[in-house]
Amino acid sequence: MIAVKNITKTYAGGGNGGAPALRGVSFDVREGDFLCVTGRSGSGKSTLLHVVSTLLRPDSGQILYRGEDVTRLPEPELNRLRLGDFSMIFQMHHLLAYLTALENTLLPFMSRLTPVKDAELAAARLCLDKVGLAGKHDRLPGSLSGGEQQRVAIARALVKKPKALFADEPTGSLDKKTGGGIIDLLGDLNAEGMTVTMVTHDQAYANAGNRKLTMEDGVLASDG
Amino acid sequence: MNILTIPLRNLRRKWLKTCLLTGVFAAAVLSVVGLTYVSREVGQSLEKKLTQFGANILVEPKVESLSVGYGGFNLGAVAYAAKSLDASAAAAKIRSIALHERISSVAPKLIEMAKVGDKPVGLIGVDFEQEQLIKNYWTVTGAMPDKPGEVLAGSKAASLLGLAVGSTLTASGRDFTVAGVLDETGSEDDAVIFAGLRDVQEATGAIGQANFIEVAALCSACPIDDIVAQIRALLPDVEIVAMQKVVKSRMYAIDFVKNLAMGVCAVLLLTACFMIALSLLASVNERKHEIGILRSLGFSRAKVFAIFCFEAVAIGCAAAVAGYLGGVLASQKTLAMLDVAGQAEQAAHAGHASVVGFDAAHFGLTLAAVCLISVAASIAPAWKAANTDPCEALVML
Ligand SMILES: Nc1ncnc2c1ncn2[C@@H]1O[C@H](COP(=O)(O)OP(=O)(O)OP(=O)(O)O)[C@@H](O)[C@H]1O
Ligand SMILES: [Mg+2]
Repeated sequence: MIAVKNITKTYAGGGNGGAPALRGVSFDVREGDFLCVTGRSGSGKSTLLHVVSTLLRPDSGQILYRGEDVTRLPEPELNRLRLGDFSMIFQMHHLLAYLTALENTLLPFMSRLTPVKDAELAAARLCLDKVGLAGKHDRLPGSLSGGEQQRVAIARALVKKPKALFADEPTGSLDKKTGGGIIDLLGDLNAEGMTVTMVTHDQAYANAGNRKLTMEDGVLASDG
Repeated sequence: MNILTIPLRNLRRKWLKTCLLTGVFAAAVLSVVGLTYVSREVGQSLEKKLTQFGANILVEPKVESLSVGYGGFNLGAVAYAAKSLDASAAAAKIRSIALHERISSVAPKLIEMAKVGDKPVGLIGVDFEQEQLIKNYWTVTGAMPDKPGEVLAGSKAASLLGLAVGSTLTASGRDFTVAGVLDETGSEDDAVIFAGLRDVQEATGAIGQANFIEVAALCSACPIDDIVAQIRALLPDVEIVAMQKVVKSRMYAIDFVKNLAMGVCAVLLLTACFMIALSLLASVNERKHEIGILRSLGFSRAKVFAIFCFEAVAIGCAAAVAGYLGGVLASQKTLAMLDVAGQAEQAAHAGHASVVGFDAAHFGLTLAAVCLISVAASIAPAWKAANTDPCEALVML
């Protein structure tokens, strides 16, 4: 589904002493994969995920999504991709503090002036129920636990029925038990056919997927 | 729920900050609206007062040579004062121009070289009511003439001719009674005798005529040239002279009041503008993560820009409504305190200025202007928000 070809990226800020964060990374994400990317801190995992999920443009190389090179797409096309096919989950700061769980889940449909449709509202409620938040739809993030907040973020990522889900350390700010619950949830989604790419430095979760990539100093050390 | 839910919810969450910002902005709008109204009314009443110190437009028959002398009329060349104009018709026409509301008085004059005893003296026929409007500074011993046959003697003329209140005189074959003696004015008025226009017209046989007409016009809302042009259009055969110097010095005082008010307004609005900008800028930095989330969800830069811009506009609209209404109220109170409103009310009865009240057009203008200012204030912070790098905003540091 996604073909990553020889990606390089060096941050302009000159972090890492000007050394590139990615140095020629190539791999494929196949339809239905649950891909885990691991590696030591600073090895370039987040950078890789951001590049693949279109948040960051690489310096060179190609990312083919269904045959199209997304590294060359103009902004509006990228926005459309993020609004539709690609969903992202992050380690922290996933919710808008002043919107309820339901409203946060509806955010992908709130990027326009036309009001949210009933069908979209129903879909959002369904997703929240699915991640185990039935009865907590109208809570503000402040009154939800860390694990519950992450579940709202997952519900929001699911509500638009994306083709690919990208997760950067989704368990990073959670304890073992809660984190395990999130990994199980991602596993369930993958079992239903969702393509998942997850970055984690936690070896306990590195084998949760069907494939594991290991990053080392901006290059892929192992694939398989 | 739509994109506007996001900024509105944020404003509601930070209600204290929202209220404070709205309050500050509303205070600025209130001051601007209030100052504008008060300075308008004060300017008008000031001009009205200044207008009482003389006319600013002269209407006279067309003559070939330049005339100098009393009020622009050459007393020494009365021979050719045969040139005169139809006083009441001209006055009616002057009162009927499109800008007739700006005309505060129309004072026709007919001049006769009379002899009292064997001493020559200028007998000026005037409309006493109109004359008083122009010459508010006149003070009189005795009373203003209000009956035919009564005259007002200038102080110098009175002492020279030995006249006092109640004395009688004969001039141009008619008998007059001195109703009052004008206190010294330091002007040409001291040396002449004022009689009713009709009396002089009858004495000279120039029924309905006047040598010239002095007009006092209020010029704070329109240039005097417009008024002159309009009179000229109705009275093509007559000379209309604007006394630019009089107008300019008068307008200077009024413009000063208005410019001062405008200056204060500009400073106030600029301050409010910077406050909104600063607060939004702080908000952008504090909400970096939110911006990252929105961008990662596919919100375009323009939409992020719009969200921040809308927050400022929402505050601006609330401030405009509160500020305008408050401004009208405040200016009414201020004018009442300054007692300008009372004069304005008198003026309203006379068909001139309006008293301050809610004005839909002004309200719309205020709303539009404040919206524009809010947008201007939010451009820099909203621009910063729109160009926040989503990756940088999202990674844990
Ligand atoms: N915005 C940035 N500007 C400059 N350098 C950066 C930036 N983000 C990351 N880097 C550098 O790029 C390299 C790779 O960073 P990256 O965040 O991809 O690592 P990571 O594997 O995700 O680490 P972690 O497990 O700690 O999240 C690091 O050396 C980092 O210092
Ligand atoms: Mg990382």
